[in-house]
Amino acid sequence: MASDRDTPSAADQVAALYEQLEQQAAQASDHLVGTRGFAGLLGQMAENTAAVTRLGNDALDLVLRNLRLAGRRDVVRLSRQLARTEDKLERVLQELESVRDQLEARNESPPPRARRSNGAAARQTKSRE
Amino acid sequence: MNPLANLTRLPRAAVEFANILLTTPDAAIAQTPRDVVWTHRGTTLYRYRSRRREHAVPILLVFALINRPAIFDLRPGNSFVEYLLAEGFDVFLVDWGVPDEEDADMGLAEFVCDELHWSIRETLRTSGSEELTLLGWCIGGTLCAMYCALYPAGPVRNAVLLTTPIDPGNSLYSRWVGDDDFDVDVVADSYQAIPGAGIDLANKLMKPVNNYVTTYRRLFQGLLEGKDGRVAYQAMAKWVADNPPFPGRAYREWTTWMYKENRLVSGRLTLRDRRVDLRAIEQNLLVVTAGADHIAPPTGTLPLLDQVASEDVTLMDRPGGHIGLMAGSKAKHEIWPEIADWLRERSGR
Repeated sequence: MASDRDTPSAADQVAALYEQLEQQAAQASDHLVGTRGFAGLLGQMAENTAAVTRLGNDALDLVLRNLRLAGRRDVVRLSRQLARTEDKLERVLQELESVRDQLEARNESPPPRARRSNGAAARQTKSRE
Repeated sequence: MNPLANLTRLPRAAVEFANILLTTPDAAIAQTPRDVVWTHRGTTLYRYRSRRREHAVPILLVFALINRPAIFDLRPGNSFVEYLLAEGFDVFLVDWGVPDEEDADMGLAEFVCDELHWSIRETLRTSGSEELTLLGWCIGGTLCAMYCALYPAGPVRNAVLLTTPIDPGNSLYSRWVGDDDFDVDVVADSYQAIPGAGIDLANKLMKPVNNYVTTYRRLFQGLLEGKDGRVAYQAMAKWVADNPPFPGRAYREWTTWMYKENRLVSGRLTLRDRRVDLRAIEQNLLVVTAGADHIAPPTGTLPLLDQVASEDVTLMDRPGGHIGLMAGSKAKHEIWPEIADWLRERSGR
């Protein structure tokens, strides 16, 4: 009776067999993708896909341009101009903040009279006289 | 299991399986309330709302240029951000946004010397702190390491690098794109912004059976056994499927400098005419590696430890995968408390 309970059912055996198969397939595929041949194939596929995409985009853009409609290229050009403007704005803001910090630092420092050296104070006294 | 019982559960499991797959885009991820602090082009700096900011040094989270930073805040109850907030940290996140063709001119220098630099400035300004912790994950970690190397006397007190590629010479990526056979210029010039789907395909092809078969088989098997894996599966699947384009220039530089020429670890990488010298890194450093990481294997991260000048260096090498280590169901009880402990000791005034 106990031995019957320990024996896995046919379904469990099939499941275990499948998992084993999947594990072996995973190991084999991991090995495959690590080969130089696969790397070359993947690289060429990426290049081909990129080239085909570019051809398609260029053709579509040409059609739109001939129809006097704004194409992707025009939208990108506008977006780039916006990005450049935003870059400049950020730089201007930074300059502004820097100037503000300098002004604040100047205001926080002691008044000019107290900062003057003895010589400067003496000159001031002399001129009053 | 009784085959007959299995058979009766099969239709219901099949319907639920299809439902889970079809409704994945509706999954709620990145739900922790946050406010926009600063934006520039596509970049947005967020600050997470909190009523208990106990530590003086804020944390700035930096994710990779591929995928979205939502992984830091995956889902309620399993969110690193949520955990850090509960531990009393002031948490900021820099989101690179969704670049497109108009951002093709964004290179690594723009990300490190502009976007990250300015995000740090805004983080300090908003938090009122003079120092911060940079916590980078994957490429985000590499960007943080570059920043620390360029600005060793800057405001970064602590740097936490999670599964970060530093010396990826022996990685599978390097075998794929590092060879002269792969012409990165053709791809970068043609696309301007490399489609996220292409990057995702490459990532999944690294473990094809696991990604295309095992994941779905496990989900289905779980449903057959009556387990409810919907929430966890959908959150992760939604995040995995959300792939923003990789700006052309950044892609070209990353591929060439890291995989073809391995410049970072050899000290030959320059950004805006300044050499990125890892030996200049002086910040308190925590490096976390995952034993089963096939994207940024520990062997590609550990060379950093031989280079940095930091006196306080900690290495946590833990079992797990590139993403699973930090976002898996065990992370909350294993790696997050360890990272929080490390941070707590170094985040006082």
